[in-house]
Amino acid sequence: MKVAIVDDEELARKLLREYLADCEDVQIVAECANGFEAVKVVTDLKPDLLLLDIQMPRLDGFEVLELVGREVNVVFVTAYDQYALRAFDVHAVDYLLKPFSPERLREAINRARSRLEAKQALPVAELSAAARPPGAHLERVAIRDGANVHVIPVTHIDYVEAQDDYVSFHSAGKGFLKQQTLADVESVLDPSQFVRIHRSYILNIDRLARLELYAKDSHAAILRDGTRLPVSRSGYARLNAVLK
Amino acid sequence: MYAAAWLPIAALLTQVLVRGGTIGWSEAAAIVVPMCLLYAFICQASWYLCNAVPLRESDPIRLIASHGTAAAVSAAGWVVAGGVWAWLLGAAFAIPGIDSRYVAQIPILFVSGVLLFLIAVAFNYLLIAFEASQRAESKALELQVLAREAELKALRAQINPHFLFNSLNSINALVMTDPLAARRMCVLLAEFFRGSVKLGSEERIPLGEELRLADCYLDIERVRFGARLKIERDIDPGCETCLVPPLIMQPLIENAIKYGVAPALQGGTLRLHAERNGARMKIVIENPFEPESSTKRGAGLGLKNVKMRLANLYDGNARLDVSQDNGRFRVELQLPCCGN
Repeated sequence: MKVAIVDDEELARKLLREYLADCEDVQIVAECANGFEAVKVVTDLKPDLLLLDIQMPRLDGFEVLELVGREVNVVFVTAYDQYALRAFDVHAVDYLLKPFSPERLREAINRARSRLEAKQALPVAELSAAARPPGAHLERVAIRDGANVHVIPVTHIDYVEAQDDYVSFHSAGKGFLKQQTLADVESVLDPSQFVRIHRSYILNIDRLARLELYAKDSHAAILRDGTRLPVSRSGYARLNAVLK
Repeated sequence: MYAAAWLPIAALLTQVLVRGGTIGWSEAAAIVVPMCLLYAFICQASWYLCNAVPLRESDPIRLIASHGTAAAVSAAGWVVAGGVWAWLLGAAFAIPGIDSRYVAQIPILFVSGVLLFLIAVAFNYLLIAFEASQRAESKALELQVLAREAELKALRAQINPHFLFNSLNSINALVMTDPLAARRMCVLLAEFFRGSVKLGSEERIPLGEELRLADCYLDIERVRFGARLKIERDIDPGCETCLVPPLIMQPLIENAIKYGVAPALQGGTLRLHAERNGARMKIVIENPFEPESSTKRGAGLGLKNVKMRLANLYDGNARLDVSQDNGRFRVELQLPCCGN
């Protein structure tokens, strides 16, 4: 089994390496100090299992799982017990609390091995729901682009556009594609900041410059950078409710 | 103020006497106005009576009897004094028949005297109740402050369990590869926990002790974060003896690590600075800050607690300012330097 270790603390990685040395049939293919490296490693080296810390700089363990969870099994390794429920919601194989014993790690490895033999794919929506604490609004969006990851703070998003099975997050003139539905995106964004103005568009109201009437009953939103977006009749009502 | 409140009463009483038809305006006013001023003082004395016979705790019969008697006695005395004054006026300004005209007003003056006295009693009871409620309110506020302080004390004594778990994990990793470092970590950890419990139970400690605790904490975190955590320390030795509330810096330093250094990919430098300026001192805690990477959730709580403690302990004589620019997050404390 190919295993990658992801932890921002060197000592924690060292400990895992030492423990794993005693597990038979385990090959450590990579050690990553942050989430970005982890996504790259999953893309390039296709490990079977990630031993994944949760609290890491810029891209946390749940965000990594959201991006690569369909391709690899994950065992969370953390000092925090409050994420355990969320971890199993997203079908993590196991959840190790630091500090842990070598036997406990071996148990997790065995669990991963039987999961590998069973081979099941994970549902996308559940993975994306995990990237944010329950009840809180999304603060940043993690988007995978091959082996690279873009992290966009939601305040930098101008608008979100539905494109078939994907949504495109537009920020400063660039678009970032992510496999998700617009309804899912809408449900995790702060509704006082982001308004569904159209079947295919969610607008960050800070970017709105003005509204134009361009046919009977239909409006267009003009953004600060000049972009024109259609506004449906119900979208117009929602927009008015938020802008008051 | 109080005497001025009696002027309308004097005017009213004058009018009542004139309406009686047996006395003229000027005469009535000349008698009533000084009488009212005198009565203002007599009625004020009812405050003592009200205190002696508290409304809630006294028997109603005793209440009525004591106030009724007092009202009758003071009204009678007042009317007699009025008579003497009328006679004096008559003698001094040679006004014939003024005393007999006064005698005709005695019943109405007596009744007014009793009523005014009773109104004064009611007013005094109201005043006493108002003062009592204000006292209760300030007492409640004081209790609230005490309760908050106790709550903060409990919070301070509570040790962050994740810090402990992560440190134990580091020791676990060091045991095989670097036993000496593992041993050193154990000692540091024990020192830190012992120190925070001890300092947390004190009222005021020298800043030097707080800084030693911080050093202990940072030494442990340095083992965990390795090269990602760099520390710059610039402490004016004159500050070390200043007395400060215990663990006032510790939550700020923990915040700086948790929300500043830990979320940064490359880590960064934590800067501690303290300088003394005569009777005041300034403490600065600065850390790197990546606006797009940090979720600030929770960071505000520690700051709010420290701010509240300073407000409670220094009564507006201490400040905590937070600023942010150029990727640096900066917390500045300004405190009076007690002790030497």
